Amino acid sequence: MQNPTIELENVTVSYDRTVALHGANLRVNQGSIAGIVGMNGSGKSTLFKAIMGLEKLRSGRVLIQGKSINKIHQRNLLAYIPQTEAVDWDFPISVYDVVMMGRYGYMNCLRIPREIDRKIVQQSLAKTQLTGLEQRQIGELSGGQKKRTFLARTLAQQGEIILLDEPFAGVDVKTEKAIIELLIELRDLGKTILISTHDLSSIATFCDQVILVNKTILAYGTIADVFTPENLSRTFGGSVPQGLF
Amino acid sequence: MEIVWQWFTAPLQFQFMVQALFVSVLVGAICAVLSCYLTLKGWALMGDAVSHAVLPGVVLAYGLQIPLALGAFVFGLGSVLLIGLIKARTRVKEDAAIGLVFTGFFAFGLVLISKLPSNIDLMHILFGNLLGISPENLIQTIVITVIATIGLFIFRKDLLLFCFDPVHARTIGLNTAFLYYLLLIILALTIVAAQQTVGIILVISMLITPGSTAYLLTDNFDRMTILAVLSAVFSSVLGTYLSYHFDASPAGCIVVLQTLIFLMTMIFAPKYGLIARR
Repeated sequence: MQNPTIELENVTVSYDRTVALHGANLRVNQGSIAGIVGMNGSGKSTLFKAIMGLEKLRSGRVLIQGKSINKIHQRNLLAYIPQTEAVDWDFPISVYDVVMMGRYGYMNCLRIPREIDRKIVQQSLAKTQLTGLEQRQIGELSGGQKKRTFLARTLAQQGEIILLDEPFAGVDVKTEKAIIELLIELRDLGKTILISTHDLSSIATFCDQVILVNKTILAYGTIADVFTPENLSRTFGGSVPQGLF
Repeated sequence: MEIVWQWFTAPLQFQFMVQALFVSVLVGAICAVLSCYLTLKGWALMGDAVSHAVLPGVVLAYGLQIPLALGAFVFGLGSVLLIGLIKARTRVKEDAAIGLVFTGFFAFGLVLISKLPSNIDLMHILFGNLLGISPENLIQTIVITVIATIGLFIFRKDLLLFCFDPVHARTIGLNTAFLYYLLLIILALTIVAAQQTVGIILVISMLITPGSTAYLLTDNFDRMTILAVLSAVFSSVLGTYLSYHFDASPAGCIVVLQTLIFLMTMIFAPKYGLIARR
């Protein structure tokens, strides 16, 4: 058994008096792709935020590579790709500038790009097929290009752990395939990838592990072990999505 | 031509006019730069709240003979913290929390003015006193502008990232709490500086309008900043002249001009104007 790169021990997060995540335990190994599955409002986003150290924990702890995320503030260890709805697409910023923001953690305090930063940004753009669109304002992109812009930022950041929030929402099949290919490539380079989704059909094809979420982590492990009718009914509250089996 | 020339040069024989033009340009420019961040961050309402909430701080600072900026800062920050507390700890929503905190602070300021034995002119605080700037106020405005400019310059990229994607900012190790308070401190300082030109009621216009105008004109942040500054400086200069020639309120003239520029932009902007979007 490999060392886990992400560990949650009895993590509870609550807002006011509502418990968003209760007593969650989790281990994710390095170099794997884990799909986080749950309905809207099941606590997927809270789980992400807890892993990124953005939530105050009511109890328990989160360890990243064996260390507390709040203590080390490790730069560039975590890379996050937000949901499409969470981004202000009218923001006056170009594709190039967004990808360059992935490099800020490596720059001096004035954030002046060095030669290496420009080179890595160019490579990241090429890898996500965005070359030629650098100067586009981000709102002028197609759905797939928008996703790939943030994926390029993640590549430029060279993080070890990549979190993607609903990456396949609103993208076409071709883009979905391209994203999955890129994620598999990254996994084979040793990166750890977490994907949240409420779409079960696609993740089964490429995830090494699935994590079922409904106000807590109900189960995690390989698809064969975890995708039992009972677990799924607990995840989706009895309404198991059609077309899964 | 001669008449136009006269229109612009004749007032310059008065020192108060030279000073007024200088200060209005300085304040207009720094407010314009800050307005780009506020509009993108969605802090327009927050700016409005802070600008009203500083009133008791300004009055107390007058009374205690301490720098106005300090008093304004304490109450500006206090209002934001109280808004945050109400939002986090009660079921009252943020817009209601903002509304009730800033009016409460503002009302407290009014009570202080009417009760403190001092010769503060309420009208000057509320609507500015551009044509009667004291030497101390001139120095204060220059110092604040320099500090705010340096702060905004050094952290311009971090602040832009903070406005665009605070989660990413956190994950790459930026101190977002620091950036939040930095923006707030610069906001409070700028409000104090602008209080001299347009007063605390209309300062919010200086902090929203130039940025909004520029936002309709470009998709590039650097260009947005430049356009915001140009429109604000133009309004400040022309507004000051208009107020001199027509004996009208300087604050009123400056803000009306800014609003007119915004309305023209809203209609005629090449890409995001109403005509272009039809």
